[in-house]
Amino acid sequence: MDELELLKKDWQKEDNNDFPVLSYKEIYKMILKKSSSIVKWIFIISLLELVFWLALSFIFKATSKNDQITDLESTTIFIVLSVISYAVLVYFFYRFYMNYKTINSTDNASTLMKNILKTRRTVKQYVFFNLGYLVISMAILFPYILDHDPKTKTIIESATANGDLFKFYSAMIVGTVLIVGIVIVILLLFYWLIYGILLKRLNHNYNELKKLEV
Amino acid sequence: MNKELEHSFVELLEKHQNIVHKVCRLYTNNYDAHNDLFQEITIQLWKAYPKFRGDAKFSTWMYRVGLNTAITLYRKSKRTINTTQFDTVQFKIKAEDYDDTEEQQLKLLYSAVHQLNDIEKALVFLYLEDKNYKEISETMGITEVNARVKMNRVKTKLRTILNP
Repeated sequence: MDELELLKKDWQKEDNNDFPVLSYKEIYKMILKKSSSIVKWIFIISLLELVFWLALSFIFKATSKNDQITDLESTTIFIVLSVISYAVLVYFFYRFYMNYKTINSTDNASTLMKNILKTRRTVKQYVFFNLGYLVISMAILFPYILDHDPKTKTIIESATANGDLFKFYSAMIVGTVLIVGIVIVILLLFYWLIYGILLKRLNHNYNELKKLEV
Repeated sequence: MNKELEHSFVELLEKHQNIVHKVCRLYTNNYDAHNDLFQEITIQLWKAYPKFRGDAKFSTWMYRVGLNTAITLYRKSKRTINTTQFDTVQFKIKAEDYDDTEEQQLKLLYSAVHQLNDIEKALVFLYLEDKNYKEISETMGITEVNARVKMNRVKTKLRTILNP
């Protein structure tokens, strides 16, 4: 194409650059500044993620103490759940770190994009694990609390006396499912928004680059 | 970081800064955005510099990091997007009073290149820097065939932008 050749000729002229030449001092100042790259943001979000779920589990523990169900903590099922959650936390922390380390700006464009998108997949897996964990622990702990909490026991007894037992149980179940459902939707929406905004351009570019690739 | 490394890096970048300016020139439309991207590319180059072994040419190594930053790592600010839209409008007005002089033609060509997407700009950049398809495919991480097909499509697209 003649036009591109014309552009190339102009492009390669030494004096075609009309931008001010930066001095040694100016460039030196630049290397002291902090990066605001997308990778840094993903890393920060991943860390916040870990902190968020850790904080949530501590808050849960703190409140359960006040609720006189401390003996819950010594049940086998609770111990198993805790061990699983900590093991998974360590695993994901390792994965986040390894992902972050593999991102290398000197890789070719396609590999770099693939590695960044991989970090997003890890975050997604972590989120789905936590949501699944939330649902399963609710399903296990809910009947336990119903059975052991003295306050609920009195309510159940009076409900049985009135013949409202079915009404009570269905209200409890519907209420819990609704609350858990709302929490899950809000969290998913939140992730979808953050990553949607952050990675929209990257996703677009990756697809554009990989188009036609066998 | 050690002072000697800082010194050798800044000196090399000062000498080769034209490459970074050229990447910025393709991907931004105004002075502020240009400086912003230049800053981020410099940081990325500096972060990668300890791993630069000198087995590749410094300039070739800069192409990679520069383009990677522009396409993938850099987060465009809102300000840049607004200016892009503004400039595109200006380009269209310019295209109407088409003039046959070489300078005018070049202006139109640059504005047409600005209307390409990020990946197409990268291909044009490497082409303008006189890289062959093997080098282009290695930098972008695609097959040589794909690089050729894409480049042909870019040429067609540019032609369509120039002669609507």
